[in-house]
Amino acid sequence: MSLLIYGTITSIILALYAAGFSLAYGISGLANFAHGALYILTGYSVWTFLNQIGLPYFLSALLSVIIIGFLGFALYWGLLLRVRGVPLAELIVTFAAGIAILELLMWKGFYGIQYSLPLFVRGGVKLGGVAVDYQRLFVIGTGIVLVVLLYLFVHHTKIGLAFRGMAQNERTALSVGIESDWIGSLSLAAGSALAAVAAVVVLPLGVMESAIGYEVLIYALAVAIIGGLESTPGMILGSFIIGFGQVATAKYLGPKWMIIVPLVAIILVLAVRPSGLFGQFKELEERI
Amino acid sequence: MEKMLEVKNLMVFFENALALNDFSMAVERGEIVGVLGSNSAGKTTLMNTISGLILDMKKKEERRGGERISVLGELKFEGEDILNKKPSERVKKGIVLSRERHPIFRDSDVVENLKIAGYLHKRHEVKERIDLTFKLFPHLQGMKKRKAGLMSGGEQQMLAIGIALVAKPRLLLMDEPLLGLSPMLQADLVRAIKNIRLAGITVLVTEQFARTLLPIIDRGYVIENGMLVFEGSRQELFDNPEVKSAYLGI
Ligand SMILES: Nc1ncnc2c1ncn2[C@@H]1O[C@H](COP(=O)(O)OP(=O)(O)OP(=O)(O)O)[C@@H](O)[C@H]1O
Ligand SMILES: [Mg+2]
Repeated sequence: MSLLIYGTITSIILALYAAGFSLAYGISGLANFAHGALYILTGYSVWTFLNQIGLPYFLSALLSVIIIGFLGFALYWGLLLRVRGVPLAELIVTFAAGIAILELLMWKGFYGIQYSLPLFVRGGVKLGGVAVDYQRLFVIGTGIVLVVLLYLFVHHTKIGLAFRGMAQNERTALSVGIESDWIGSLSLAAGSALAAVAAVVVLPLGVMESAIGYEVLIYALAVAIIGGLESTPGMILGSFIIGFGQVATAKYLGPKWMIIVPLVAIILVLAVRPSGLFGQFKELEERI
Repeated sequence: MEKMLEVKNLMVFFENALALNDFSMAVERGEIVGVLGSNSAGKTTLMNTISGLILDMKKKEERRGGERISVLGELKFEGEDILNKKPSERVKKGIVLSRERHPIFRDSDVVENLKIAGYLHKRHEVKERIDLTFKLFPHLQGMKKRKAGLMSGGEQQMLAIGIALVAKPRLLLMDEPLLGLSPMLQADLVRAIKNIRLAGITVLVTEQFARTLLPIIDRGYVIENGMLVFEGSRQELFDNPEVKSAYLGI
């Protein structure tokens, strides 16, 4: 029972890590290697608003999500525009931006246990005999709400529909007046904002440190690679495979082996089926 | 009177290869104009240049450090120079291209395909245009929820034209709409093109074979190796022995 509950929670956390990365990639083929850095930057941004400026928690979180979303947007127009459409160059640029952010955080002195975000609500409940704190329930709720909101956004708003058009056929999208750089930058903004939302709900569970930036990137990559880089059902399944794999590993081998799971998964999938476990359904399945 | 579309001395280079060579043509409001040419004659290049897609290809090639694409000459829509306008700006003016080989949004259903195409327009306008599409292609109406990638080639072609229609063209560019369709579907589509004109839309259409298309076009241009080799009314095209053997198969 505890395996089931904590497996589910871990999987949803992974899906939250990966959602923004997969979204931007699915829409504009952009692999944002600054994803993890933006995630942890969100944590320090919330912390600063909360503790240095003294804003209420909710407002600090909201502002941070907006700022990080805008950073994604700015990253596109400022650094990516010139190399757009050249995947290797995009990767180098975003990775460099990510490292710059992480180093800047270190230089600013953002490390050590004094940096952590408070829980939204203290306490917890028992689910089938297993103790679960409210924060983790909140994580589950956020995961579910995000899926619903994203679905509605993508299928029922102009920008969302343009995302879908761009993801499926860029030229045809262009020929009806959808602009690829505009949509590309919005997708990166949305992806970054999703990383920020994940950070806001997940980071209160532990201490913040820059290294988490790399970890989140590795998880997002692992999930995306297992799910096949551009499919939503694949992304969710990928999260659950790694999530349950991790919880089982922690239980039977010990917690220090957990980080091995995504790495082994990446290597296995790349060796056996480079298009991802679900890559072959690419044409048939819903993307996004 | 001022022409709707005017192309003058258009030259398009892919690196050093000349795809369009000193090509000139014009379209008047309300016409159906054909461009006939065999494989690699330059039809798609012409359509991409008029719709502006070529500018996007050019930009991408430049970023990638790939081949150099150059576009020279004059391109006017309703008197205004549009040679350097982005595709989206041209769509706003009413120039919409339905690309060759019906590239639709494969994972979306029919209605969603059409909704995506309404990006630039207001909700109620999009609804009207979707209704117009279903009126022109009643067959599509029965498959609103069908995933586009699973439809037949003919159905995808109708949808591709529907996509262009929802983007509200005043000048509709159709690149080989009849390609790969059965004679019966070709006849259906030709009828639809006539109705599109009746709906007040000017049409510029390319084809390799003109037999089905010729009866509905007002005028036509023949293009070979990127060059204009013949132009004339429907009757003149029909009476020309070379056109007859090359494009009518008679
Ligand atoms: N991106 C490109 N790079 C290099 N050459 C190109 C490119 N696109 C087209 N060409 C060349 O330009 C010429 C015209 O091609 P275009 O596609 O316009 O012909 P088409 O009439 O549409 O042919 P088809 O009937 O096969 O569709 C051809 O010689 C083609 O090889
Ligand atoms: Mg062509």
